[in-house]
Amino acid sequence: MIVKGGVVYDPANGISGEEMDICVEGGKVVEDAKGEEIDARGLLVMPGGVDAHSHIAGPKVNTGRIMCPNDGRMGIEPRTDICRPSTGYTVPNCYAMGYRYARMGYTTAFEAATPILEARHTHEELEEIPILDKGALTLFGNNWEVMECVRDKDIGKLAAYVAWALCSSRGYGVKIVNPGGGEAWGFGANVKGVKDPVPNFDVTPAEIIRGLAQANELLRLPHSIHLHFNNLGKPGNYTTALETLELLKDIKPSRERQVVHVAHMQFSAYGGTSWRDFESKAPAIADYFNQNSHATMDLGQIIFGNATTMTADGPLEYANARLLHAKWSNHDIELEEASGVVPLIYGRKMLVNAVQWAIGLELALLTKDPWKVLLTTDHPNGGPFVNYAEVIALLMSKAKRAEEIATLHEQTSKRTTLMGIDRELGWSEIAVMTRAAPAKVLGLKDKGHLGLGADADFSIYDLKPEQTDPAKDHQLVKKALSQSKYTIKSGMVVSKSGRVLTTPSGRTYWVDASLSVPKADKERMMVDLKEKFDRYYSVQMSNYTVQDAYLPHPMVIRPRLFDTKAATKEVA
Amino acid sequence: MKSLTLRLRKAFDIPVEAEILSPDKLAGLSLSQIGLQEVWQGNKKMKLSDLFQVDGDDMPAKPEETIIRLEGDFSRVKRIAENMSAGTVDVHGDAGMRAGSGMKGGLLRVQGNADDWLGREMRGGKIEISGNAGNYAGAGFRGEKCGMRGGEMEIAGKAGAYLGEHMCGGSIKVGGDVGDFPGSANQGGTIIIRGGTYLPGAEMTKGSITINGSAKMLPSYQKMEMVKIGDADYQKYFGDLVENGKGEIYVAVSAQQSP
Repeated sequence: MIVKGGVVYDPANGISGEEMDICVEGGKVVEDAKGEEIDARGLLVMPGGVDAHSHIAGPKVNTGRIMCPNDGRMGIEPRTDICRPSTGYTVPNCYAMGYRYARMGYTTAFEAATPILEARHTHEELEEIPILDKGALTLFGNNWEVMECVRDKDIGKLAAYVAWALCSSRGYGVKIVNPGGGEAWGFGANVKGVKDPVPNFDVTPAEIIRGLAQANELLRLPHSIHLHFNNLGKPGNYTTALETLELLKDIKPSRERQVVHVAHMQFSAYGGTSWRDFESKAPAIADYFNQNSHATMDLGQIIFGNATTMTADGPLEYANARLLHAKWSNHDIELEEASGVVPLIYGRKMLVNAVQWAIGLELALLTKDPWKVLLTTDHPNGGPFVNYAEVIALLMSKAKRAEEIATLHEQTSKRTTLMGIDRELGWSEIAVMTRAAPAKVLGLKDKGHLGLGADADFSIYDLKPEQTDPAKDHQLVKKALSQSKYTIKSGMVVSKSGRVLTTPSGRTYWVDASLSVPKADKERMMVDLKEKFDRYYSVQMSNYTVQDAYLPHPMVIRPRLFDTKAATKEVA
Repeated sequence: MKSLTLRLRKAFDIPVEAEILSPDKLAGLSLSQIGLQEVWQGNKKMKLSDLFQVDGDDMPAKPEETIIRLEGDFSRVKRIAENMSAGTVDVHGDAGMRAGSGMKGGLLRVQGNADDWLGREMRGGKIEISGNAGNYAGAGFRGEKCGMRGGEMEIAGKAGAYLGEHMCGGSIKVGGDVGDFPGSANQGGTIIIRGGTYLPGAEMTKGSITINGSAKMLPSYQKMEMVKIGDADYQKYFGDLVENGKGEIYVAVSAQQSP
């Protein structure tokens, strides 16, 4: 396949709006190819979109579906010869997730949080999401074994456990959600900050985060730790965010990437002492990111309308449900996590929601380096992913932002700095935030760019960058970016002008770091685990691990064997 | 005025999904175009003319100037007048499930009985039923915060259970008895029942229910003063206290009251 004459934005390879041909063979970008020609003359071409933080599969998504039969009645599309039926808006069915991402020009999406014990469910659903390449991050922040290793300052054993658990859950990376808070929630409490000890475990969230970051780097995992801060969603929580980021400053990354990725930063950039004097602290957060380079973030942008919040942060969801008098699901995952689901509606005239909306945009616009900011809505917590084009249009046009602000609560501009920001992002920056940076943050070498040997995942949009001024024509930008003219996945046209043409199975990425673990560490760890299964778990260890049968299309990443000397040094 | 008449070609058992039978959808079409409109019967796609004989005015018109008469037993035809915003739908016979769902305006008249989910989540307009209505009239589907939000519904006969569940506005009048749990989770609607009922207003937070027949009350309602509405005396109740609600229920004193 040859795609002719597109205006290509491939920031990872320094290409910014050059007219060029792209040749594809065997699902990869190559130098020269024959076959089908696609005429893309003058049209916007970008690598396939990569969503590094989205809740697309697993038990909490399904809980959301069960709690919101009203949501299932939205977005209904009947079966066609190619597609299965679609349902839902904030919590679509599995098939719809694949179709809708593909229509938007996205080809990769990662499920952001899965407990090890329930990873089977996650993989069953991931397998049913067509077209996309995907993966799942595994939850570690409230795990008993993790906390015990951290308490004993045994990073070698912790690394052994992380490797074993990633393998058991067929997970891709280390997700940490309100570390310690989920465990405290088992006793109806929460941790108040990074220095607040976790009940019964004699560790602090700060120690858990640092320990997991050290283990993550010891194993040379492709992705850094992926962190949902303590105190998330509370007024005044930006100090917790900054304090947590400071904790990780001295840790050396084992690869060319960040040390910590901050999930849905918007929910942790809040000032004020209560919801009454709630205000944006995005400038302070952006300032920190501008001065430091050990961290990246994704936005967690809010979209007005329906959302379904779902997180392993159990106490947060309890607070949401109480505050909003909303439906609430609460779930305890044995020795691993808490979790909760609360559907809610973000209203334009609700001051708190309007300020939250502005914070997401402020973060993206005030952080100078787009490589540090990934565009997400933390689907479906901030809103469904189908609205990414809306966020892109907002970031590219000050006029659109002004139009939107005019429809919001009148106090919005007093509580945020958004009105005063003139920056309008260009196509290269958008390509970074939606393609190149997410791939780099996740450590996916063949994604997010169109260099030779890259996966032939890209999207062509019905928009001529040379003749369009996104600042003025924001409606056109939103329309064009909502629905690609062509989405090409592994060298196949999967979607054309909103019509899904074929639904190949995508691959599921997971990381097998077990070979990187010294035998002695693993043995010590297994003694602990055996006891945990004998005494506490409701399942046997032999029934715990996700079998290969659950991943018919696996893509296993094996980080290089690590230096055992470094391991012993850390322990000492 | 544009007048259309649809008659059943022959009786059928397999239900038809006929959201197309609304002035909004048919007003602008000629008779032959109307005949070609697709409807689902079970898992088969059919043309309207396969199932119904369509007569009337050929000229396009505005929805508000359109009257659709449905003659015969339409009890297996679902979603009549769904989301309609103007005009009139006149059913001479029974109407199937979900007639007038999501209605925003206009008039739906049924000279016969209506099945379950009549006027589900309706927002405006008027529904008149000369016979009985099924369960969940004026209610909301599972998961919705609001059922009926506005408009009027008058049922001359009896109504089934869960009348006006999750109602947020509008009014429902029922001529006869009503099944269990009318106005549960009512958040601002008005229900007037000429007959009796059982356990009205569970989880009601706002709005009112007036009952002229006998009613078994929930224990979570506070007995208030006696009030006079028109010439009749009513016992007023306040609740549902379980939800810290401020709803009002009036039960006629003349009726035989269950303890």
